[in-house]
Amino acid sequence: MVVFPPTTPAEVVALIVRIITSHTFITLVFFPGFIHLTLVVIFLTWYERKLLARIQLRIGPLYAGGPGGLLQPLADGVKLIFKEVMIPYKASKPLFLGIPVILVLLSALPFAVIPFGQHWVIANIDVGLVFIFAMTSLFPSMILLFAWASNSKYPFLGGLRSLFQQVAYEIPMWISTLSVVLMAGSLNLIQIVNAQEKMWFVVPAFLSCVVFFISIMAELERLPFDLPEAEPELVAGWYTEASGAIFMLIFMGLYMKLYLMSSLVTVLFLGGWWGPAFLPQPVWFIAKTLIVATLIIIPRGVYPRIRVDMLIKIGWTRLLVIALVNVFLTILLVNSGVMAAWGI
Amino acid sequence: MVVNPWLAIIIWAILIVIMTGPMLTLPIFWSRRRPDPFRDMPFESGQVPQGEGRHRLVMQYYPYLLMFVVFDVVGMFLFAWGVSFVKLPVAASTIMILFIVLLAAPLGYALRLALNKENW
Amino acid sequence: MGDLTLMSLMIPPDISFTVLTAITIIGAIMALQAKELIYGAISLAISFIGIAGFFTLLDAPYLAMLQIAVYVGAVVVLILFTIMLVNREEGAKMEEQIDDPEGSMGLWLAGLLALAISGVVALVSASLPTEAPPANLPISDLGPALMSQYPVPLIVLALLLSASLLGALVLAKVER
Repeated sequence: MVVFPPTTPAEVVALIVRIITSHTFITLVFFPGFIHLTLVVIFLTWYERKLLARIQLRIGPLYAGGPGGLLQPLADGVKLIFKEVMIPYKASKPLFLGIPVILVLLSALPFAVIPFGQHWVIANIDVGLVFIFAMTSLFPSMILLFAWASNSKYPFLGGLRSLFQQVAYEIPMWISTLSVVLMAGSLNLIQIVNAQEKMWFVVPAFLSCVVFFISIMAELERLPFDLPEAEPELVAGWYTEASGAIFMLIFMGLYMKLYLMSSLVTVLFLGGWWGPAFLPQPVWFIAKTLIVATLIIIPRGVYPRIRVDMLIKIGWTRLLVIALVNVFLTILLVNSGVMAAWGI
Repeated sequence: MVVNPWLAIIIWAILIVIMTGPMLTLPIFWSRRRPDPFRDMPFESGQVPQGEGRHRLVMQYYPYLLMFVVFDVVGMFLFAWGVSFVKLPVAASTIMILFIVLLAAPLGYALRLALNKENW
Repeated sequence: MGDLTLMSLMIPPDISFTVLTAITIIGAIMALQAKELIYGAISLAISFIGIAGFFTLLDAPYLAMLQIAVYVGAVVVLILFTIMLVNREEGAKMEEQIDDPEGSMGLWLAGLLALAISGVVALVSASLPTEAPPANLPISDLGPALMSQYPVPLIVLALLLSASLLGALVLAKVER
């Protein structure tokens, strides 16, 4: 029996064993927790470089070790840790050092509520979807603060553009998920996936899926919405002055956000972990998420960049209208009982 | 163990901060710390930086920030409505649709004000 | 994975109440006392997050998320943008720095007093008379309540939001 507080060493050992084999500890540390997250994020950096290289008819990382340069992210990490952290002249030091940690925290915190299987979730809260949106709405202010903290023109311009771009695409993102919430009847992500057992939501809410996909590409600042970090114009946008470990933290935060948004598309539209039963549920989830991540990465090598004022205008006018139209369509569909066969 | 999910989230946050904290503090052991005016100058592609670092604020996109605040609140109300949508009779949803329609006209006018560049 | 109901891990609500009180009050006082406006805005954001924690403690997690998304996500961004508009020089402080040591000391003392009271309440809460905790309302009750009991405030809210949006825009635009 486990006794708390423990008094004898045998009780301490029993307590530790009890904690280590508990569901919460396993999900926190192993899957879908810390170790899985870092491994997938590291894999995604390699994957993006290889994929873009093949699109651009070159080879990508090759020599770093393993087949096809698989240890390249490790080499990058070691290089970045040993680089010097340069804090610009008269920059705000606590902000400059503290905000990258907060950025990583904001990217990683929503993973506590994303379910990778029927029981593979760290925290099953009833307001999971709104929790994720609350966390992503904190990003623009953090980016603006970091851009202001580096006392320099390129980051400031890039930070302002990034702020307006991300703010413009938050609202279409929320309204397109409204159709999913209408059909599933809950904000709990596990119940949303359970409601897709017979029919994935991408079929009735196809327009919403398209709007959501475009909005997350703008939230992640990926091409073709790349202007806040346009290399010929702004060097690197809001993280120009970040070097060494600061840059590594920001870089990891960006790729964690990519994984987060891809898994959100999977949960909301692609049926989460539902698939034929010969593979375990988390495998289906990760497979679908990687396909979505591929679809997000590919336009980076294909499309040109969109100018920032046109970008903001498109977000506020066209995408918002399409998302609202799809909400009305969903209302009609649900009320007319067409989808009763699929349990909606 | 039965763990309150909010506590699990807090433990997850603490775990993340503990794991990323050393990345900032370890480089202290192996990097120079003297402030050097040439090294710490803001980067401007090689030329000498002139002027202030933080002065260019464009007012052109200010209305979008205001619209974001308003539609943030509206979005939250829409989520509260959407969760209970299947249980409501059709007549009750018309109030929410009226809510959206009532905000569409000011949105249109605000967009017209925002897209007209001479206003800013 | 072992029996999931043998042990339950929880922080006593009194400790979390005291911690949240500390975060909220100290954040609010720092927002008033900070010499640089940007740090004041950040402390205000921390104070708002403390209030969101209070909502979670009161079994209203949806309201907590609304607080974070609206206040910390939108209003603080607006405040920061306005501060950057006004603060043209880096490190600029307020023009006439009103130095009021008695006032600031009074503010800190009031904050510490509130903190001490909350700590004492947390310590003796076992002996205080308790009433039934608020019922854990699911969010799916919020929507019908909004439609059936409060339709008029909802429409008034829509009108208020549009009025404030248009008013702010008209005030901010340049008259030609």
